[in-house]
Amino acid sequence: MSQVAQAPQKFTLPGMHRRTTPAPTIEGRAGRTWWHLPALVFMITLTQIPFLLAVWFSLHSWNLLVPSEGFPFVGLANYITAFVSDPNFWPVMWNTVQLVVGSMILALIAGTILALLLNRPIWGRGVLRALATVPFLATPSVMALIWKNLFLSPSSGMVDWLFHLVGLPNVAWFSTFPLQSIMFIVAWEWTPFVMLVILAGLQSIPDEVMEAAKVDGANAFMTFWRITFPLLRKAYEISLLFGTIFIFQTFAEIYITTSGGPGVSTNTLPYYTYRTAFTSFQIGQASALGVIGVILAIFAARGMLRLMTERTVSERN
Amino acid sequence: MSVATTQKSVATTQKWSRFGWAALTYLVVFLLIFPVIWMVITGFKSEVAAISIPPTLFFVPTLDQFAQAINGGFSAYLFNSVVASLVSTTLALILGIPAAYAMVFQMRKKSADNMLFFVLSTRFLPFAAILIPLFVIITRLNLLDNLFTLIIVYTAMNLPLIIWMSRSYFLDLPKEVLEGAWLDGCTTLQTMLLIVVPMAAPGLAAAALLSIIFAWNDFFFAVTLTYTETPTLPIMVAVFTSNEGLFLAKVSALATMIILVPVLIGIYAQKHLVHGLTGGALK
Repeated sequence: MSQVAQAPQKFTLPGMHRRTTPAPTIEGRAGRTWWHLPALVFMITLTQIPFLLAVWFSLHSWNLLVPSEGFPFVGLANYITAFVSDPNFWPVMWNTVQLVVGSMILALIAGTILALLLNRPIWGRGVLRALATVPFLATPSVMALIWKNLFLSPSSGMVDWLFHLVGLPNVAWFSTFPLQSIMFIVAWEWTPFVMLVILAGLQSIPDEVMEAAKVDGANAFMTFWRITFPLLRKAYEISLLFGTIFIFQTFAEIYITTSGGPGVSTNTLPYYTYRTAFTSFQIGQASALGVIGVILAIFAARGMLRLMTERTVSERN
Repeated sequence: MSVATTQKSVATTQKWSRFGWAALTYLVVFLLIFPVIWMVITGFKSEVAAISIPPTLFFVPTLDQFAQAINGGFSAYLFNSVVASLVSTTLALILGIPAAYAMVFQMRKKSADNMLFFVLSTRFLPFAAILIPLFVIITRLNLLDNLFTLIIVYTAMNLPLIIWMSRSYFLDLPKEVLEGAWLDGCTTLQTMLLIVVPMAAPGLAAAALLSIIFAWNDFFFAVTLTYTETPTLPIMVAVFTSNEGLFLAKVSALATMIILVPVLIGIYAQKHLVHGLTGGALK
C-alpha cells in the first residue's frame, strides 16, 4: 500500500482512487514476482555453476591421458605453471593483446571512415549502409575460409595475384604473417559494427551544432576533430568495449586459418585454453587458463557495465 | 557579371565535390564487401575457372557447384542449423520475456538493476572458460553430440540478449496504456501477453532475429560439443575442405548459401542491430 501511496503525484488517472488493492504498476513496483526466476535459474545453471566448477578444476591436477593420476588437489600450482614455467603462456598473452588491440584499431579507423562517408546525403545511402554491414553478419568461420583460400592463398589467392601484377613477391600470408593475417580478417568483420555504432552516434549530434561550426568558418577537418569526435566519445567507448570483449573471444577465424600455428604464434588465451583442454587433455591446467581469461574479461566488462548502468539511472529518472 | 560567374563556379565545384564524395563512398563500400561479392561469383564458376590465375571475369555461369554442395549432405546440416537456432531462440523468448517484464514492471528498482547487471555479465563471460566444465557435465550426462545439447547452450548464449533487448523495448512503452489494462482488470499474464508483447512486437522480433543470427553463426560450441553426430552448417564448410581437398567453386557455393540467412536477416533487422548488440547503451 505504501508504494502506491507515493505514486499519485506522478500518475493521476480517472478511477484510480477507486482501487482498493494495489495494482502491480510501474510506480508501485510491488517487488513480488517470480517471473524472472526461470531465466535466472537457467543462466546460473549454464554459466555460473560451470564457472565455479572451472575454478574448482583449476585447483586440481587432472589429465585425461593419465587417468591413473586421478584428481589430486594441487592448490594454485596450475596458475603458477601458467605464469612461471609454461613457456607458451606469455607469448600467448602477447598474441592476445596484439590481436585485440590491432584488430580494434584497424576496425575503429575503417569504421569511422565508413560512418563519415555514409553519413553524407548520397543517392542509395540506405542500400550502401545495408551492404556495408555484410562482413559483420556473414558467418565468421565461413568467411575465414573464403579469405584463406580465395584471397590470401599463395597459389590461388587474389591478393597474391595483385601483388604479382605490381611486381611484388608472393607472400605465404598464414605462415609469414599469421597473426597479422588473422588480425586483418577480424578487423574486416568488426569494421561494420564500429560503423553502425558511430553512425548512431553521428545521428544523435544536433544539426545546430554543425551549423554553428560552419558559420564560425571551421573546415571539415576542424569540425570533425573539435566537434564531432568529442561528441562521439560515448559511441567510441561502446565500440571499444564491445569490440574488445568479443574480439577477445575470436575462435573460428584462428581454428579455420592456422589452427593456432605455426607453433603457438596465433594462439590467443581462449584458443590456448581450448587447445590445452581438447588436444592436450590437461583439464586442470586449461581450467586455470579459463579462469585467468574470465578475470581479464571482467576487467574489460566493468567499464562497459558502468556505461550501461549510467543509462539505466538516466532513463528511470 | 563576375558575381554571377563566381556563384556559378561555386555551384559547379559543390556539385563535383558532392559527386566525388559519392563516388568515393561507393568505391569504399565496394572494396569492403568485395570478398563476399567475389565469393558469390566464384560459386557460379566451374572449378577450372575458379582456380585460374589471372582471375576469370567472364565465364558461363553454372549451378553445378550449388547442386554438388547440396548433394553433399547439405540438408542434414541445414536441418541441424535450423532446428538449433529456431528452437533455442524460442526457448530464450519464453524464458526471457517474462524476466524482462518482471524487471521493468514488477521488481523493485534495486533488484531489477542487480538482475540487469547479472544478465549482462553472463554474456561477457568468455565461452572458453565455461566450455570445459560444460563439456565434462555433458559427457557425464551422455549428451555429447546431441542436438538437444546445442539447443540448450545456444539458449543460454542468447538469453541475455533477449532479456536486455526486451527490457529496453518494454521501458519505451507508453505507461498510460498499461495503466489502462490494469484498471480494466487484466491479470498480469493477460497484460503481458495481450498488451505488452504485441506493443513491443517489432523490438521482440528484432531480438529474436539477432538471436537466430548468433546461433546460426556459432562455430565454437558446434565444433566442440556436436562435431560428429549433429554438425551445423559452419561445421560443414570445415569438414568439406579437410575431407575433399580444395574445391574453390564448390566451397564458395556452399559458403554463399550459408551466409545468405544471417545476411538477409541482419539487413532486415538493421535498425535494431546496434541497439541489440550494445544492450541499449546506444539508441
